[in-house]
Amino acid sequence: MNRRSTIRRLFTRLPRWKRMLLAGLMLALVLGLVLSLALLAWPTRHSTPPAAQASNGGFAGLGRAAEGFTQARPGQVLRFPEDHGAHPGFRTEWWYLTANLHDEQGRPLGVQWTLFRQALAPPLAPRGTSEAAGMTNPWASNQLWMAHAAVSQGEEHVVAERLSRGSPDGLAGPAGVRAAPFAAWVDDWQLTGTVPSALSSTADALSQLSVSATLDEATRYRLTLTAKGPLVAHGEAGFSQKAADGQGSFYYSQPFYQAEGEVTLNGETHRVSGRAWLDREWSSQLLGEAQQGWDWLSLHLADGSKLMAFRLRGGAADEGNAQDDSADYLSGSLISTDGILTPLGPTELSLTPLAESSVAGRRLPTRWRLEVPGQGLDLTIAARNPNRWMTTQVPYWEGAVTVAGPDGRPRGEGYLEMTGY
Amino acid sequence: MLEMRDIRKAYATPQGPLSVLEGVDLSLAAGASLALMGESGSGKSTLLHLAAGLDTPDSGEISLDGQRLSAASEPARAGLRRTRLGLVFQQFHLVPSLSVADNLTLQARLAGRETPDWSGELLTRLGLAEMADRYPEQLSGGQQQRLAIGRALAGRPALLLADEPTGNLDEASAETVLTLLLELVRDSGCALLMVTHSTRVASRLERRLTLSHGRLLAEEAR
Amino acid sequence: MITGRRSPRLVSRMAPHLVPHLAMARTALITLLSHYRRHPGQLAMLLVGLWVASALWSGVQAINASARDSYARAEALLSPRLERLERRDGAPLGYADFTTLRRAGLPVSPLIEGTIELNDGQRLNVLGIEPLSLPAGGIGEDRRTGNGGEDGANPLGLLQPPGQTRLAPETLATLNFSPGERPITAGGERLPPLVIDAQLPPGTLLVDIARAAELLKRGPRIDTLLLAPGTPAALPAAYRRTPAAQGLSPGQLTESFHLNLTAMGLLALVVGLLIVHAALGLALEQRLGLLRTLRALGVPGRTLVALLAVELVLLGLAGTLPGILAGLWLANILLPDVAASLEALFSASVGASLSLPWHFWAGSLAITLGGLATAGLGMLWRTARLDILALGHALSSHADSRRRQRRQAGLATLAWVFALGLWAWPAPSGTPSLIAGFAMVALALAGSALALPVLLGAALEGLKRCLGGNSPRTALIRWALADLQLQLPRLQLAMMALLLALATNLGVTGMVGGFRLTFLDWLDQRLVADLYLRPPPAAYDSWRDWLETRPEIATLLERRETDTRLIGAEGERPVALQGISADPALTASWPLLATLNADRAAAWQSLREGAALINEQLAIATGLAPGDMLTLASPSGPFTAQVAGIYPDYGNPRGEVTLTVERLIQRFAAKPGSMGLVLTPGLAAADEAALRQRLTRPLPASGEALAPSLVDQRSVHRQARQVFERTFAVTRALTGLTLGVAALALFTGLLAQARERRARLAPLWALGLGRTTLLGVTLAQLGGLALATALLALPLGVALNWALVAEINVAAFGWRLPLHVFPAAWVQALGLAVLVALLAAALPAWRLWRAPPRQLLEEFSAS
Repeated sequence: MNRRSTIRRLFTRLPRWKRMLLAGLMLALVLGLVLSLALLAWPTRHSTPPAAQASNGGFAGLGRAAEGFTQARPGQVLRFPEDHGAHPGFRTEWWYLTANLHDEQGRPLGVQWTLFRQALAPPLAPRGTSEAAGMTNPWASNQLWMAHAAVSQGEEHVVAERLSRGSPDGLAGPAGVRAAPFAAWVDDWQLTGTVPSALSSTADALSQLSVSATLDEATRYRLTLTAKGPLVAHGEAGFSQKAADGQGSFYYSQPFYQAEGEVTLNGETHRVSGRAWLDREWSSQLLGEAQQGWDWLSLHLADGSKLMAFRLRGGAADEGNAQDDSADYLSGSLISTDGILTPLGPTELSLTPLAESSVAGRRLPTRWRLEVPGQGLDLTIAARNPNRWMTTQVPYWEGAVTVAGPDGRPRGEGYLEMTGY
Repeated sequence: MLEMRDIRKAYATPQGPLSVLEGVDLSLAAGASLALMGESGSGKSTLLHLAAGLDTPDSGEISLDGQRLSAASEPARAGLRRTRLGLVFQQFHLVPSLSVADNLTLQARLAGRETPDWSGELLTRLGLAEMADRYPEQLSGGQQQRLAIGRALAGRPALLLADEPTGNLDEASAETVLTLLLELVRDSGCALLMVTHSTRVASRLERRLTLSHGRLLAEEAR
Repeated sequence: MITGRRSPRLVSRMAPHLVPHLAMARTALITLLSHYRRHPGQLAMLLVGLWVASALWSGVQAINASARDSYARAEALLSPRLERLERRDGAPLGYADFTTLRRAGLPVSPLIEGTIELNDGQRLNVLGIEPLSLPAGGIGEDRRTGNGGEDGANPLGLLQPPGQTRLAPETLATLNFSPGERPITAGGERLPPLVIDAQLPPGTLLVDIARAAELLKRGPRIDTLLLAPGTPAALPAAYRRTPAAQGLSPGQLTESFHLNLTAMGLLALVVGLLIVHAALGLALEQRLGLLRTLRALGVPGRTLVALLAVELVLLGLAGTLPGILAGLWLANILLPDVAASLEALFSASVGASLSLPWHFWAGSLAITLGGLATAGLGMLWRTARLDILALGHALSSHADSRRRQRRQAGLATLAWVFALGLWAWPAPSGTPSLIAGFAMVALALAGSALALPVLLGAALEGLKRCLGGNSPRTALIRWALADLQLQLPRLQLAMMALLLALATNLGVTGMVGGFRLTFLDWLDQRLVADLYLRPPPAAYDSWRDWLETRPEIATLLERRETDTRLIGAEGERPVALQGISADPALTASWPLLATLNADRAAAWQSLREGAALINEQLAIATGLAPGDMLTLASPSGPFTAQVAGIYPDYGNPRGEVTLTVERLIQRFAAKPGSMGLVLTPGLAAADEAALRQRLTRPLPASGEALAPSLVDQRSVHRQARQVFERTFAVTRALTGLTLGVAALALFTGLLAQARERRARLAPLWALGLGRTTLLGVTLAQLGGLALATALLALPLGVALNWALVAEINVAAFGWRLPLHVFPAAWVQALGLAVLVALLAAALPAWRLWRAPPRQLLEEFSAS
């Protein structure tokens, strides 16, 4: 008896029910402890640290630094048909077609066909885990192809997107671009040169094109495009400056297409005709580090001339005054009917938002004033319908616009693109 | 306080209905005591059960303190039993798993009317103060019946119903228990209806009624 | 409190302002519960019963839920709604096919599947996907849309160098790496950095197809092309949709395995609930007086029923919650074995650690509390119908127990009639045959359990009658028998538990033992070659030519396999197809279950001439019999052959057709497979070692860089045996535990009646019987009762064994086993029963033995 510990003695002195209670409490305590330990040691399912947020880098990462890529510099001469093809040494590149069409009843209808190329890594980076020789791996590619297509009329705005990885050298993959004979494709969407081979030595490869895309079961289009004028090179013989610090891209266009074809929208097929504009641009760092996005216009004016203008937003040091125009970088080109291009520098044009609309939960300017005082141009540009949000992985606004003079009379039509909102 | 009017009660048996009570009238004033006598099977216990609301009559009216027991629902009768009545049985029906003290206060607590002073006084007067922590099985028969009486009185009932409270005890204990019971009933001012077959016990109460063949014989004046 | 110096009372003082009803309820509840204070044994019995029942049940359910979660993730990984494409010419798919179909506008996406070995020897599945083309919803919760950047779900994450290796948290836990690290394969290649993806099934690494092609050395070849559901029907002429039923999902395949587990868990639950039932019955019986007293003191009947229900819930929670925790612990122990056998049997990956959905917790709690409610409902019913005027009456009359016995006997008969009915008349079509099989077994077990007390009672009565003579010994025996009859109502539930546990144990032991014998025989018959060689496909022919010249090799047994579809009247079903060399070395021992005219030699001859053999699973599933014609889809059109025989194929979940290897090459363009090498008899050990050495190196003449893989027969044997052992490890563990529960039931039952027993034995002690004698009588009573129960369990166990091998196994796995009977196991069971009873009786008996005379005397004073 006297060898029992004090605790034990205390315990046995308690009345029986109290002893049970105490034992029960101890048991509960132990169980609770085990339970809480088990819960602590349980592998927490979603304990993955959130991936480091990529630095802003502007719209779609186009402002990210570009080590390992070729930089666009002024002074380089464009060469055709080679430059119609891809430039894998640069990070970003696009073939960008917009068409202002009208159906049999004269109702306006817009069509977009765009192919983007994006390098996931600099060209010299290893393509995979293995350097095993002898094994051809057609999947290994650092190129990402992204195609967007849209058909819009009135309230209708059908958008589709196709993604693909690049093809290995020498193998035709599901996506790619070939300079001659010209072809750009992703899956069954294609933009193909149709210049007869007899003329291929004289005519530009882009002077006759066929473009087609199937957006869904009820929406598709097929157009033939015939250029009524020459290719035009923007900026400094094709080098288009995009920021005050000299950052820029190579940029040329074919704005003179006459378009004909068929568009099926929601199961209804329309014969359409109108005008189309193709942009070709490549770069490794399109935006400056601090630029957020751009507003870009391509206009077919009533007198047959063409006007391209863009505004790159942000990038100035003055953070206190967001309204300060000097924070934006403006540029443009006025193209005469015979293809003579007049570059418009940052001080030679102004682009002012007049009214905003609420689109896809954002505020976007859908009415603009474009002034080129030196050319006597004062235009009001308005979206035909504000509902032209592109619900693609990288979302943006792209839609047809009308152009009016200061007197309110129609002065043409075109396309507006707004990114980074 | 307790009024019973023309009470009839019959039980179904395999041999057909057995009439136990055939029109019984009974009244008991507050604070009065009444002994109910009769032969075995005369219906004494049935009458007591009806008075306690443990059973319901086939016809007739029972009222307690002006409340009609015969028309009340089971929970209401249980409530009356809990708060207004005390019951003492021949078998003591103590709760074996509760201590003496907890048994004593059980009904008072169920009724929500426990008064510790009165409970303490009862314990002392019943001679159980030294055994408050014991369990019923550790008590003698007399002690157990005293405890049952204490349990019935701890809630200060208006009426105590006792069914042969001394029937299970030897003579000496029976005397002690009976004396204590009557003393306590008197002191607490509650009425007493006691079923007994012993004239000696019955003679200690104020009134005496005898049941025979389901009817009350004329009350003998005292 | 009555006076200040006393310790605080259990019943606390009521504040006068409390609602009187609440006060009443509280006092009444405490009074009801005070019963357990005086009878802690009953409380322990209740809690232990609940604890054990919920532990075993929730343990099994945790295993099932965990495995199902793995399957769900495996299925969600590649939505089963995705269609798969193949080439009509049977040629393997490649990059060119992908390009062609994409350019034709078909939303196809390539997939590569394979296994890699890490440099620590660990093998893992690798799934290579093309994230850009994968149809939306194709992988789990639409991993394609890059919006959820949180857990690296952006498709570019896989693509963007250095890429990602996505894996389930469970897989990461087995790898000894942290997220972001790059494990190295056995080939010395670095995997892309690890990223956790909780939606992936365990054991699978998800990488970009480019990485997968490199890791698995595939070049441009892919395994399949996935097609988004709802794609327009027209495909280019060279392609067709792979029939959807190609691969049964792991969930479907393993359903029967889990049903088996669930049945075992249910049995354990029932056995545990028997304890609870017994304890509740006891607790009610002993409180009948208390309940009547409370009614008399003015507690309404409804309140009492409600309070007892509250008591049930409190007890239920107190027993079930720790039970579920114990179940988790149990599941954690058993899961690795379950995972291994599921992997081996069905190639279904199951994480070796628990992963439980919320409904597991709710379900376990609900089932156990529901079980408790069924056990407690009787108690509540009796309370509600309590006759308060019967204050102080005897508990249950003899007539009552007679009536109950008759009712039990009736129910038992009914259960048996239904069980036999289920056996004689097949279940209505649409009911899974496995469910019907389990229903039959359950009814038979329930019927036997119900009949047990009746039979035991009758046996005791009979023994009593037979006992003649008037010696002191017979008097004592007669008393012991009569006393046992009195004890029987108390012990009947425990005996039922013992009966169920013993019968299950016998049945399962018999089934497993029989399976082992059959299986090992079958392995010996099927594995006739000494070595099995799998050369690299390109060098297959060179190896065969070389091997045929070797003097060490007596016979070369080629084997190839491929998949095809069996074309039947009611549609197509996928089958495995194997080609074998119909060489006497193989055919002499290859077991056949049925042949045309029971002529083995003729069956083999017709196989050589173009007939087919099918496995038992396929025969059961399709009803094909020897002599029937079967039609298979082949690249060159339907292939028709006669069924020459049926062979057993244990451990294979799929239906299989066997042809000669030549036919497989000609008609099905089967890829090179393996070769069995039967060595020349009497080959010197040194020569054999040299040959083995030679077979593990590339063949110099072929210019092939890869070495063949060589397996010897012994290691195939060993592996098969391991799979077998693990498959039944869980079953055996559960039967063992169930037996433990039955012992516990007996023990608690005896403990609960210990006081009563003392009251019964005290008079005998007073009459002059020594304690030793009393102790001996007590132990003999229990041992005898357990022995009688075990004797009744023997036929039930054999019946169960038969049901398992002839009905359940056929329904669950598709193979029938011969019924093996193990008399040694019977003796073991009898011994076990007596041992269990004596162990259970030991503590109460010991306490009686140690009880001081004063305590025994008290039995007289306190009545």
